[in-house]
Amino acid sequence: MAPNVFAVPVFFICFRECLETSIIVSVLLAFLKQTLGPEQDPKIYKRLVKQVWWGVGLGLLICLAIGGGMIGAFYAYGIDHFSNTEDIWEGVFGIIASIIITIMGAALLRVSKLQDKWRVKLAQALEAKDTKKGKATTRFKRWCEKYAMFLLPFITVLREGLEAVVFIGGVSLSFPATSFPLAVICGLAAGAAVGYLIYRGGNTASLQIFLIGSTCFLYLVAAGLFSKAIWYFENNAWNKIVGGDSSEVGSGPGSYDIRKSVWHVNCCNPELNGGGGWGIFNAIFGWTNSATYGSVLGYNFYWITVMVGFFLMRYKEANGHLPFMKAKGKPEDATMSETSSEHGGIFSETDLEKKTDAHQPTTTTAVREIEG
Amino acid sequence: MALSLSNFLLPLLMLLQHGLVANAATVTFDWNITWVTTNPDGMADRPTIGINGQWPLPALNLTKGDRVIVNAYNGLGNQSTSLHFHGMFQNGTNEMDGPVGVNQCGIPPGSTMVYNFTLDQSGTYWYHSHQRGQYPDGLRGTLVINDPENPYAGEFDEEVTFSLSDWYHDQMPGLMKEFISYKNPTGAEPVPNSALMNDTQNFTVSIEPGKTYLFHVINYGAFAGQYFWIEDHTMEIVEVDGVFTEKAAADMIYLTTAQRVSFLLTAKNSSSTNFAMVGSMDTDLFDTIPSTLNPNVTGWLVYDKSSDLPTPALVDEFDPYDDFNLVPTDGMELYENVDYQVQLDLKMDNLGDGANYAFFNDVSYVSPKVPTLYTVMTSGASASSVGIYGSNTNAFVLGKDEVIEIVLNNDDAGKHPFHLHGHNFQAVVRSDEDAGFYDADNHTAFPAMPMRRDTFMVRPNGNFVVRFKADNPGVWLFHCHIEWHMDSGLVATMIEAPLELQKTLTIPQNHFDVCKAAGVPTTGNAAGNTEDLLDLSGENKSPAPLPAGFTARGIVALVFSCVSAFLGMAVISWYGAAPLRSKTVIAAKRRISQAGVVVEDK
Repeated sequence: MAPNVFAVPVFFICFRECLETSIIVSVLLAFLKQTLGPEQDPKIYKRLVKQVWWGVGLGLLICLAIGGGMIGAFYAYGIDHFSNTEDIWEGVFGIIASIIITIMGAALLRVSKLQDKWRVKLAQALEAKDTKKGKATTRFKRWCEKYAMFLLPFITVLREGLEAVVFIGGVSLSFPATSFPLAVICGLAAGAAVGYLIYRGGNTASLQIFLIGSTCFLYLVAAGLFSKAIWYFENNAWNKIVGGDSSEVGSGPGSYDIRKSVWHVNCCNPELNGGGGWGIFNAIFGWTNSATYGSVLGYNFYWITVMVGFFLMRYKEANGHLPFMKAKGKPEDATMSETSSEHGGIFSETDLEKKTDAHQPTTTTAVREIEG
Repeated sequence: MALSLSNFLLPLLMLLQHGLVANAATVTFDWNITWVTTNPDGMADRPTIGINGQWPLPALNLTKGDRVIVNAYNGLGNQSTSLHFHGMFQNGTNEMDGPVGVNQCGIPPGSTMVYNFTLDQSGTYWYHSHQRGQYPDGLRGTLVINDPENPYAGEFDEEVTFSLSDWYHDQMPGLMKEFISYKNPTGAEPVPNSALMNDTQNFTVSIEPGKTYLFHVINYGAFAGQYFWIEDHTMEIVEVDGVFTEKAAADMIYLTTAQRVSFLLTAKNSSSTNFAMVGSMDTDLFDTIPSTLNPNVTGWLVYDKSSDLPTPALVDEFDPYDDFNLVPTDGMELYENVDYQVQLDLKMDNLGDGANYAFFNDVSYVSPKVPTLYTVMTSGASASSVGIYGSNTNAFVLGKDEVIEIVLNNDDAGKHPFHLHGHNFQAVVRSDEDAGFYDADNHTAFPAMPMRRDTFMVRPNGNFVVRFKADNPGVWLFHCHIEWHMDSGLVATMIEAPLELQKTLTIPQNHFDVCKAAGVPTTGNAAGNTEDLLDLSGENKSPAPLPAGFTARGIVALVFSCVSAFLGMAVISWYGAAPLRSKTVIAAKRRISQAGVVVEDK
């Protein structure tokens, strides 16, 4: 028998984790290139691209450190911190990531509709130093906007990286060390290659079509993440009930809580042994072989919320106010514009709309321009 | 606790009571079955089922030919009960066998059932409740039947009887609820809290140098098999489960739950030291071994009361005597020609309620509404048709005097001790571990004079074959004697010569009174239907199986999820494609201006 130099599960784990990350990173990079490309505003473009890569790098570094620490703790003290807390942090990271992707996705799509010069200016505005001291929440929001291009890749890499460490740790005992390097490199390379293809595709397609397509894709991932996060919380509760790691019993009876099961097939488990193709299916579409009421409802409500959100955004864009709400009267306008000037943010729909609600924009803007 | 004289006094008293008659006597017991508080391992007080306010239960020492009458009054108040005299053939008295839902109704609190039967056998037995999951709460005791024609009569000076047992600090109903639960999908059996010898942990036997003793050892635990050995002494096995065997020397014996052994032990000629005897629970059976668990229990052969009771030495490995090799003294030869083969494939699996159950041939036993014996007695000519006994009882109808072969294939990684009521059987084949299913064309040679007993263990993922003659009309259970598995359904019902049974058996009115008090029907098929006996509608059934894959619910959920994903993407596309209104541009402008970036509006 030939020496085992290629651990297939490890390849699939690396591939799927790298795939999710590279989808997000390549969409962001393609977006930046198309909107702020070197010919538009090279300085800001460079800075934002740097942000993306900083996010990737720092996320990688931290997850390597934590992963290394966990493995060290495992070998030194025999403490398996992975399986005890894995479900919790998977769930928490999943929800955070899905919320960030959702907000970013809407914001990118919205920004793409602006004319080129406005986008550049907006980017410059984000980069500019805040002259006003707002409330803490406002400043936090501004900060998030400014570093959004950093935050999203950072959180994504952190989550995927830790997941990869845990998953690989879970299957590592059944493979010799020699079977790892090639599988890891191939997995990462395959994931990165897909990301590069997306990036290239994004640069050649029209910005709007690319962004519509990639936003759909991002939202599929986010919906899966959201649903899976709920699933992880439920799995954590189930593990507490049965007093152990239920995945010990594979995909069969006992691996899930029958009372909460919507469907369960004793195969196609995206978690076991790297999950193979089902793991990829899970990474992109949120597939699970054991759906619960929570995860199915979560998935559907996520999409319903997204749809309602986009309808409301469109309605406001068209009518200037939310459905069933009259446009605000003059007296309130003065105070509204006062306060909203402290809030404002392109990624914050409500603030954006509050300003459009004020029916005297041109003059105010003019005044402010002079002030500025 | 010294081996109390009561073990010997009791039969002595009985003999006195009955005028020292050597021939058949009638022995009557008035038993009030009640709760008492006990603490046999010194670790926890717990409510335990006692008799007449006593626990450990009376050690019965009777004589072959005796008629036994037990007036069993249920004084528990909160549970039904029953009594089964384990190993008794009950030939002609099938209704006295004791399993609830099979041969009788559970005795409800406040009722009395009279058990009345003759002891036609001799050897080592025990009695216990055959109400679901009850005997490990204390209702089990030893029964030794002396035989004036014992082939080893005269070879021993004294007899010693004691039990081995596992012990739980919690009561069975609660443990059973946790065991058969969606919370325990792997079917991990509750692990005992300690091991007992003679229902204590400081059991001693006074030994006189030079004498020979006949030891009767009974494992009446709920779950754990036990290894048993006596330091520096060899045991000569002479009887298992009431069957006398040629002498077989053993250093270590393995007793599953419900198995018994008698052995001759010759005391050292002189000794000033005492010797440990150890019962060690077979931890292979345990899912987890708590750090607090001591799986061993030690007793002592006391030659010299003034000497120390030594701590037993550790053993390197467990290498017990293989009971398959024993040879019965009566020389009964192998039943060569099998008339009917019963194949039972054992597996553990989960049902639709998420809990783990045990199965024979994919059926997990559930008690019928009408005790099976009563169905036999009230079904006329239909009694021969297996269909009336229910779809969850694993019923087999056996013809009178047929030679029956039971092939048991263990598709589970655990050891299982199987017990057949009403018979002992010839152990024809027992495979090694992991041998898989029995292959009739490829097996070890059958022994010419097979070992017989009434409880026999199958090895993990192995098989065994046993044979017996259906010469005892009655309804007899065949089941795993691990109480957890018994209650999760590892039971089959042998209905032996039902038409013959109808002709010969009379069930006393007292038994029907008990059923009436318990509100249990006594006529009709397994479902209690008396018109159409093949109509099983309304019968007790096990939970539905787990759905094999996508159910309607799952498909609807998957379709809904796909539809909402596509709708969602459609909305995103629609929004992304729609032009931006001037008002939004203005808002963006303002955001820019607030940041102080100069906008050159062309």
